[in-house]
Amino acid sequence: MLNIEKRTNGSELVVALEGRLDTITAPDLEKELQESLDDVKLLTLDFEKLEYISSAGLRVLLSAQKVMNRQGAMKVTHVSSAIREIFDVTGFSDILTIA
Amino acid sequence: MNIRLSGRIDSNNAASVEEDLLRQAANADAVVLDAQDLEYISSAGLRVLLRIRKMRPEMKIINVNSEVYEILDMTGFTEMMEVQKAYRVVSVEGCEEIGRGANGTIYRIDKDNVVKVYNNPEALADIQHEREVAKLALILGIPTAISYDVVKVGDSYGSVFELLNARSFSKILAREPDKLDWCVQEYIKMLKLIHSTLVPAGKLPDMKETALGWARFMQDHLPEAAGKKLLALVEAIPHDDHMLHGDYHTKNLELQNDEVLLIDMDTLAVGHPIFELASMYNSFVGYSELDHGVIQRFQGFDFETGRRFWRRALSSYLGTRNERKLREVEGKARVLGYTRMIRRSIRRRALETEEGRAEIAHWTGELLSLLERIDTLTFQPNELELEAVPENLEEVQAFVEEHLEAADCPPKAQMQIGVAVEEIFVNISSYAYHPENGNATVRVEISDDPVSVAITFLDHGTPYDPLAKKDPDIHLPADERDIGGLGIFMTKKLMDDVAYEYRDGQNILTLRKNL
Repeated sequence: MLNIEKRTNGSELVVALEGRLDTITAPDLEKELQESLDDVKLLTLDFEKLEYISSAGLRVLLSAQKVMNRQGAMKVTHVSSAIREIFDVTGFSDILTIA
Repeated sequence: MNIRLSGRIDSNNAASVEEDLLRQAANADAVVLDAQDLEYISSAGLRVLLRIRKMRPEMKIINVNSEVYEILDMTGFTEMMEVQKAYRVVSVEGCEEIGRGANGTIYRIDKDNVVKVYNNPEALADIQHEREVAKLALILGIPTAISYDVVKVGDSYGSVFELLNARSFSKILAREPDKLDWCVQEYIKMLKLIHSTLVPAGKLPDMKETALGWARFMQDHLPEAAGKKLLALVEAIPHDDHMLHGDYHTKNLELQNDEVLLIDMDTLAVGHPIFELASMYNSFVGYSELDHGVIQRFQGFDFETGRRFWRRALSSYLGTRNERKLREVEGKARVLGYTRMIRRSIRRRALETEEGRAEIAHWTGELLSLLERIDTLTFQPNELELEAVPENLEEVQAFVEEHLEAADCPPKAQMQIGVAVEEIFVNISSYAYHPENGNATVRVEISDDPVSVAITFLDHGTPYDPLAKKDPDIHLPADERDIGGLGIFMTKKLMDDVAYEYRDGQNILTLRKNL
């Protein structure tokens, strides 16, 4: 289960995730982002309530990062230490801006 | 008075035999033809039988030798009238006892043959039952021996089996203690085969019904609340159509040359595996808890060996060396085990002797203390087989998580294991059987020293070693990074060990992580 909550503030989009970002739920997030990223200059992914991320979730983050590299910036906030470790072993810590 | 038939009845003497028989039959209360001395009967003789039967429809024939029986069977007479075979008489005096079960004792009568002598003198129906269930088990793929003859042994009956060069596992354990691990391994392999066998509905008795009977009996022998709880616990055990042996101890497993055979099939039933574990506990530990001599007399090995065998077998069956998990399942098995033993002892009038009362008091005490802390008699098996499709990922994750939680796995390790499980299962779902579908088996094993978990995935799909894939370069900037290969790479990084092999037509991938 993944809950996706979006808040727009001018050209900033905050997407708060709650639950699990896995093979089952990653396509939902991918679709949400595809529909919402036009004209967004800053994308903030709030991971405060995210419990789990697998490679399927990382793929969505990577493609969002690629889009945002072209049109602005992306940051990930409130990353738990368990998810931080996933970012570390996959080199995602170097790609993402973790605030 | 029985009417005796003798010699040959054919066209030469049919007329005079008929005259004689009709005269005797007219005076008899019930017509019973004793064929002990009858050597041969031709069609002329068969016509004589038909005419007697016309006069006395209740007529039956007993003590028919096998040649005459074959004639009566071929001509359909055995279906028309009651025909009882003559049983070969076999003596078991001085024969070696090689097995013993709830309903009978097995003796070796010569080099190649054994006879199972039934305790109940009215055993013909039991023998018939055992032959039928043994046949059913054999057809369903369980290696067993089927009796080929029924014989008379003293006042009782026996069935004869061919069993060449066979030794029971009890004998192996008694004489070669260093083979204990091997015996446990084979014993559990057979047990898993039995428990994975689905039985068509109605073919075997339901063990739950039997156990409900025990629990009802116990209502008069336990404090009211405990009795009610016991009954509710048994009622809550889900119905299960998988096979149970019902009396699975080491005297009922035979090594014949290199083949392991299951014998003593009359207790075969269907039900939840906890019933089997209960009867295993009783055989190896329960019955001997107070008098350690019981197991020595029955199995030929000592109490310590029995207990060690039980614990190793349970550990191997559950795929865990986690002491808490073992105790938990053992406790459930003991609830049913004590219930069964107490009822059995009371029915055998054990309350009339001092030793009997002591034993029942001991078992009752153990049962009551278990009932205080146990809230379900079911347990989680450590293997899950299901269709390898992404939709089943959640079920796999829930199955693994339940085992991890039982082992007090920290949340971070739980997530990492979850990630690895997802990668492997999704991989199998996407590629192993593509474009068709097939099943995968997931097995979870917990070890205590060091505390670690091993998760094994098995599938029968195309041979494929995911570990052979080159690791992605994780130092590239986002725009140059490819998304492929990340899952397996993460799995390798997050686990302490990942191993792949292709064996017996299966991809076998094992993840290990220290907790």
